[in-house]
Amino acid sequence: MKRVIDIGLLQSQSGHYAALSRVVSAGVLQGVAEVNASPAFDLAFNVHARDPECRAERYAPLCRQILRETPARHIFGCVTSSSRKDVIPELERHDGILWYPLPYEGFEASERVAYMHSCPNQHLLPLLDWAIPTLGPRGYLIGSNYIWGWEIAQIARERITGAGGLVMGDRYLATGDTEADHIIAEIEALRPDFILNSLIGDSSYSFMRQLAGLRAQSGAALPVLSCNFTEVEIDSCGGAAEGLVSAGPWFEPTDDQGDRRRGSLAEMARLAVHELAQLLHGRPGAGDLSLAELTQLALAAGQPLRLDPTHFHARQPVVIAQIQGGRFHEVLRHPPRTADPYLTGRERGLTLRPPLRVVS
Amino acid sequence: MTRIRTENLGEALAFVLHRPHPAIQALIRQLSVIGLEVREVWPELPAEAISADFIFYDADSGHDAQFPWAAGASPMPMIALIGSEAPGRLAWALTMGAHGQLLKPATDKGVYAALLVARANFDRARASEAQIADLEDRLSARQTVVQAVMIFVLRGKSEAEAYEILRQTAMAWRVTIETAARQLVANHNAERAPDERRRTDIS
Repeated sequence: MKRVIDIGLLQSQSGHYAALSRVVSAGVLQGVAEVNASPAFDLAFNVHARDPECRAERYAPLCRQILRETPARHIFGCVTSSSRKDVIPELERHDGILWYPLPYEGFEASERVAYMHSCPNQHLLPLLDWAIPTLGPRGYLIGSNYIWGWEIAQIARERITGAGGLVMGDRYLATGDTEADHIIAEIEALRPDFILNSLIGDSSYSFMRQLAGLRAQSGAALPVLSCNFTEVEIDSCGGAAEGLVSAGPWFEPTDDQGDRRRGSLAEMARLAVHELAQLLHGRPGAGDLSLAELTQLALAAGQPLRLDPTHFHARQPVVIAQIQGGRFHEVLRHPPRTADPYLTGRERGLTLRPPLRVVS
Repeated sequence: MTRIRTENLGEALAFVLHRPHPAIQALIRQLSVIGLEVREVWPELPAEAISADFIFYDADSGHDAQFPWAAGASPMPMIALIGSEAPGRLAWALTMGAHGQLLKPATDKGVYAALLVARANFDRARASEAQIADLEDRLSARQTVVQAVMIFVLRGKSEAEAYEILRQTAMAWRVTIETAARQLVANHNAERAPDERRRTDIS
């Protein structure tokens, strides 16, 4: 007989980035189904879902609602960094823990958040270290007008200029904004060696379509990089995402027959559910423990952990992949590396030194 | 080596001058997470603390004798750990030279910001002090130039001629005008010193 552990699901079913939050929900629910069906776990999860509708102001109240009105302490939630920052005070007040399965910009390490995807030393820096020698040193930065877009641009600027390259432009669009004519015109005039796209949701798909139009009309290559573009968004661009290069911990295997279009957000969400199940398995009463206590117990028992017990960020491989024929194909793979949320260089050789300096 | 956004925090050394207490556990944890080396000390800072990059100090039960330097003269950024917001304790914390602050009980929030704010405040204060010292130096050099010019004026030269002599002397000696003026004034005073009655006070 499995004991029942209540968990929360705080993901939007509608709104301008619902394509992402729905796939995270699907990953969580798949993980829950697997754990519940598996005889390897002495527990089953019971999900309490709330829908913030991609509206920033709904995250904190709904997080509080889950923590106060249901027995759930562990919440699988949030897509944007701003919503994650909004719910942290609620987690502190009501003793909750957030499992966050998306790439983010780093510079955060809450004791109440399990960062299950990747941070810049696991996505942006290796991506630029591949791109600058491969594509050229002149980059153009575009992102959504909030912390993810700003901080990714800031780190990219330091990496590009540090490698002797040049940032030709740095532009932002409000989340949900699809009007990018002025940016397309600027890109047409500047012809950068690469474009780093940190737009999210509809803004990104619209920008990719307009950029494909410019490519067809001008013949320029204009390759696009992204740290947040995944499989689930390829179709939303209607073919315009062809050639995009992304970095992340996981891409849909190309030999996969089914066209499931889950991507790393769903996969990391699924693995997050498994990680929690492993932390709680065989430990009745562990439902009330903190992340620090849970990871220490697992460590003492010799259990393999994805989470680093110091800062609760997942150790991840780095895969760089390019969209060809509507699917991601692996270009380069680095072995798993520890997250370095504050870029203070625990893996100095890997994270801080650009592999080569562009002198042109 | 290119450092990215680390503000040189990687492997920086922080001393935390506070008695062991749950109120600062989250601070110790967060400093380690950010990538600093942390040493907890109490009841006083050891002499080697002079090599630290940051000092966190207890504003509630601290006193001057805990520090191996004079109040306000720390050679690194100092961050006050404030529990009681009483004016007396705050006054002491400020006298010690707080460049930043954190409230107790410390949480995982605000530590990175406190490090960057304290470092920026410390650097700004240090730059201002250097600028003031430089200005004071130049002010006193200017007074010396006036003294040197006066020597030649007292010998019957016009002020314009005196400046020209000073300029040519500096060129001949291959030194700055200020250095030449200092030397001329010193020579003049040395000549005059043996016979105080003939001394011309030019200062």
